[in-house]
Formats: sequence, C-alpha cells, structure tokens
Amino acid sequence: MNLHHAPSSTPLVEMVDIEKHFGGIRAVNGVTLDLYPGEVVGVLGHNGAGKSCLMRILSGAMIPSKGQVRINGQDAQIHSPHDARDLGIETIYQTLALADHLDAPSNLFLGRELKTRFGSLDDGRMMREAVDVLKRLNPNFKNLSDPVSSLSGGQRQVIAIARAIYFDVKILIMDEPTAALGPSETAMVSKLIKQLRDDGIGILLVSHDMHDVFELCDRVVVMNKGKNVGSHRIEDVTKDDVLSLIIKGQLPDDWVPRSQETVQ
Amino acid sequence: MAETDRSPPLVGWNLKLSASSFHKLSALFTLACLIIVFSFGNPAFFSINNGLTVLLQTAVIGLLGIGMTLVIITGGIDLSVGSVLALSGTVTGLCVKAGIPVAPSMAIGVCVGAACGLFNGFVITKMRITPFVATLGMMLIARGVALQLTGAAPISRLGEAFGVLGNGSLFRIIEKGANGFPKVVFPGIPYPVILLAIVAVAAAYLLNRRQIGRHIYATGSNEEAARLSGVAVDRTKMIAYTLSGALAGLSGNVLMSRLITAQPNEGVMYELDAIAAAVIGGASLMGGIGNISGTMIGAFIIGVLRNGLNMAGVSAFIQQILIGFIVILAVYIDQIRNRR
Repeated sequence: MNLHHAPSSTPLVEMVDIEKHFGGIRAVNGVTLDLYPGEVVGVLGHNGAGKSCLMRILSGAMIPSKGQVRINGQDAQIHSPHDARDLGIETIYQTLALADHLDAPSNLFLGRELKTRFGSLDDGRMMREAVDVLKRLNPNFKNLSDPVSSLSGGQRQVIAIARAIYFDVKILIMDEPTAALGPSETAMVSKLIKQLRDDGIGILLVSHDMHDVFELCDRVVVMNKGKNVGSHRIEDVTKDDVLSLIIKGQLPDDWVPRSQETVQ
Repeated sequence: MAETDRSPPLVGWNLKLSASSFHKLSALFTLACLIIVFSFGNPAFFSINNGLTVLLQTAVIGLLGIGMTLVIITGGIDLSVGSVLALSGTVTGLCVKAGIPVAPSMAIGVCVGAACGLFNGFVITKMRITPFVATLGMMLIARGVALQLTGAAPISRLGEAFGVLGNGSLFRIIEKGANGFPKVVFPGIPYPVILLAIVAVAAAYLLNRRQIGRHIYATGSNEEAARLSGVAVDRTKMIAYTLSGALAGLSGNVLMSRLITAQPNEGVMYELDAIAAAVIGGASLMGGIGNISGTMIGAFIIGVLRNGLNMAGVSAFIQQILIGFIVILAVYIDQIRNRR
C-alpha cells in the first residue's frame, strides 16, 4: 500500500478483510482499504466488481459478513445509516436518495430534523439554513418550497450534496457524483471536492469517469471480482494502467511506477 | 414540504396553486355544490338539526379516514379498520357487561384496536407481507374474534353511561315551553363531532409539525431514500398502523355507544368508506401524498351525499353506485392534474 502520508497520521477509515456474501456469491472478498484525512481516493472497477457493495457497507446500508471497520483507529460498529452518520460518514448516492414529495429543506434535514424546544419541527429555521447552504453551492437555487420532484437534475444533485456537507462530515462517500450533471455543475462539484479535501475531509469517489478520477484523486483503489487488485498514487499510474487493472485485474507486465521512472 | 397546509403564503396571489391545494379546492367546491343542490331539493336539508346529523354521521367515517390517511401516506393500506371497529366495540361492551366502569372499558377497547394495528405493522415490516394481504388477514381475524366472543349476538342493555359518548352533546339548550313541555332551542354539538375535531387537529399537527409526520411522508415518498437518510422506516410504519387501529377502536366505541349496543356485525365495508374519504380528499395510494383536511372534506362529501340522497328518498343501492363513481372521478381528476 502506498502511504504517502507521514507514518504518524492515523487513517480516517480502515476497512480490514471485508467480506460480503450473497448466498454462494462473494460480492466483496477480503478487501482492505484505507483513507487518510484530506485525501481523495478513487474507487474504480467494473459494474459488479463490488465497489458499490463496499461503499454501502461503510455507509451502513449493508452489514458485512466478515471483517472490521475502524474509524480514526477505533473499532466501529456500523449497523445502520444512522450509525454511519453519527461517525461523520456521509454518502451521496447515485440515486440521490431524495423523497420526491418533500421540499428541499425537508430532504436536507430528513432523519435529522431541527426541532423547537416543544419538540415540534422548526420549519422556519430549517428553511433558513437550507437557503444558506443551497445558495452557497448554487447561487441560482430557487423553488425551495416545491417538492423536489419538480426540480432539475442539477438542483436535486445540489440538495443531495448539501445534505452530505451541511452536517459535520469527516468522511464523504460520493457515488458517481457527476454522472447526471452538465459541465458547469460538474465544475462546481470538482471545486467542492477540492475544497473539502483542503478542509481535511477524507473522500471516497466512486466514478467511471477517468478524467474526473485523474483530476481529483490522490490515489486510486481498483476492485475486480470482489477483490482489491491495486492501490496506487495517481502520479504512479497512467490511464492505461488503471484500465488494465479494471479490466484484467493486474497492471501491464512492463509497469514501473511513473514517479520512479522519472527519477531513473 | 409538499403539503399545502404549510406551503408559503401565496405570494402576491399569482394563481400558482400547489397540486394538493388545487385538489382540496376542487373537493371543497364539490362539497359546496352538493349542499346547494340538496338544499334546493329539500328545505329541511339546510337546517342546524340536519347539519348536526350529518356531522354525527360523518364522525365515524372521519375517524377511520384519519387513520387510513396516515397509513395511505406511508404507501400502505389498512383493510382491517371495519373489523377492528367491531372487535373494539364488542370488547368494550363485554367489559361493561363484566362490571368494569364505562371509561376504562372504552380505554380497553381502544387498546385492543391499537394492538390489532400494531400486529398489522409487525406483519408488514418484520414478516415483509404486503399491506393489502396483511390487513386483509386482520380483517378476517378481528371479525372472527368479535363474532366468536359474542356468539354473533349483539350485547345490549349496557346502561345509560355507555350511550353518553355517542348520544350526548355539548351546549345543549333546552327551554321550558309555554305548554310545560321542554323545548330544544339548540340540540348541542354531539360529542362524536367534538371528538372528531380534536382527533383531526391532533393528527394534522402530528403530520405537519412532528418528526414522525415528516417521516411518514418520507417513507411513502421514497422508502429506500428514507432508510438511507436514517429514518427508522419500520418503526414509522408500525406507528402509522397502530394509530389507524387505535382510531378504528375509538370509532368502534363511538358507534356502539350511539347504538347503546355492542354489535359484532357492525362496520362491514367501512374500510372502503374510509379509503374513499382519503382518496376523494387527495391522498395518493402510491404514498407520499395526502393530508387530514382533505380527508375531512372527503368524509363530509360522503356524509352529505348519503344524507342528502336519503332525504331525497334515493335508495341505499343507488347511493353506493354514486359513491363508487365519485371515487373513480376523484382519482381521475387527480391523474389529469398530475399529467399536466
């Protein structure tokens, strides 16, 4: 494993020997993965390589058959999305996971509603906070009290992102965050990822888009048939190397780390 | 939130109505039309006395409809409310017969209803049986238990106190007439109507202002999203079904109290009236949409229609036919609106 951080720094996330079986199928087969503060790690692989499964385990949507998860060096029991959120793990799902009939503030605070001291919902405050965070992400955001089903794909994405970063996020899982977006919105997401990284947040980026991966990631982890077949600093590999890992599960035979290549 | 009750004030009245307020207005318009038509048909229709009768008749359907609305918003359905109503009423009747005072007896009846609802919720969330099948099962179970407990015979002579909830009223004004006989100046607001109003306000508060209400909408809107957002989806559904069962129990007590007899055969097909009230009021059987005020309007449309047609001498069979068409029409209008 390439550890380009100082040895003293504790990994934010350590997933050790994670296995997930569905009947006889091993969707995830002994995967070990770590993530450091302020690092963007691309998680790559074919559809069905087990990357979504692995991410769902970390976000609490799925319980592993075997293996351990440590957060900040401490053993963590993540049995539900609620547990994950309590540990500062936020997830932006590819499906966005929005309740279509509710408006933007209700979605933003879903499961973590703000309440008045009488225990009823504080919709006024939730609306103000939502305006604040949504306008920061997209100054043109309108129609905050419409059901989110009537909003554009970009606006819906903004709500999903806002929901992940509004609360005290430490670990962010992004599943294909730019797949449904136009160019300007993609640029916004890229900028945001860099900003969050600079704030010391660890980001796991699941993506098929090589351009995004090479632009944003510090490291890539490639999965193939439920196994982690390679974890490399982005400077050490080319797009062809990564594609070889994704498709064949191994690096080209003549591969040498590019950073060392230049030294020689 | 999508629901109108709290959508922002119509800024500058730009005629941009939210979907559900459009539906509510059209339902309200229908109700007004019905009242006007029946008033022309029969002068006795538009009177305080008859108005109170309609309110009284609507109370039971209204209470069932409120519970049904909660369940429908979660994306489910509760077919058991008619039977649970009968079971709860009979249990209360049996308790009174056994010498337990009326108030605790009624509390026991409501608890039995809540227990039936909780069982529904358990079967649906833990055994993963669809709401339609689970509550269909409960419909048969509750009716069967009610009939078994009583040997299918009504329990009568339950005492005057048992009839107070269903027959009593508030602000009843009686004057002594010139001839010495009492003359009813104002018949008073029947207790069932007051109960309905309290329950409706409480349920609307629950749905719109409490976390559980928000979670009920979220669950029906997108169950997977709600779960991933940390909403305890199973718990939310259990609460909705339990409340529906408890309200069925409450309406059972109201109905049996009005008859001063516990009838194990009461409430057959009431679940359909409750569903009709919710659907006419704008609730979507796909979940995520619906509100209490709409359901109240729906319940009153059914109540007014029944009462008006009765006074016009239209047979009960024709009434069923008409209500059937109205349900279809309400859903059809809703679909057209959504397609726009």
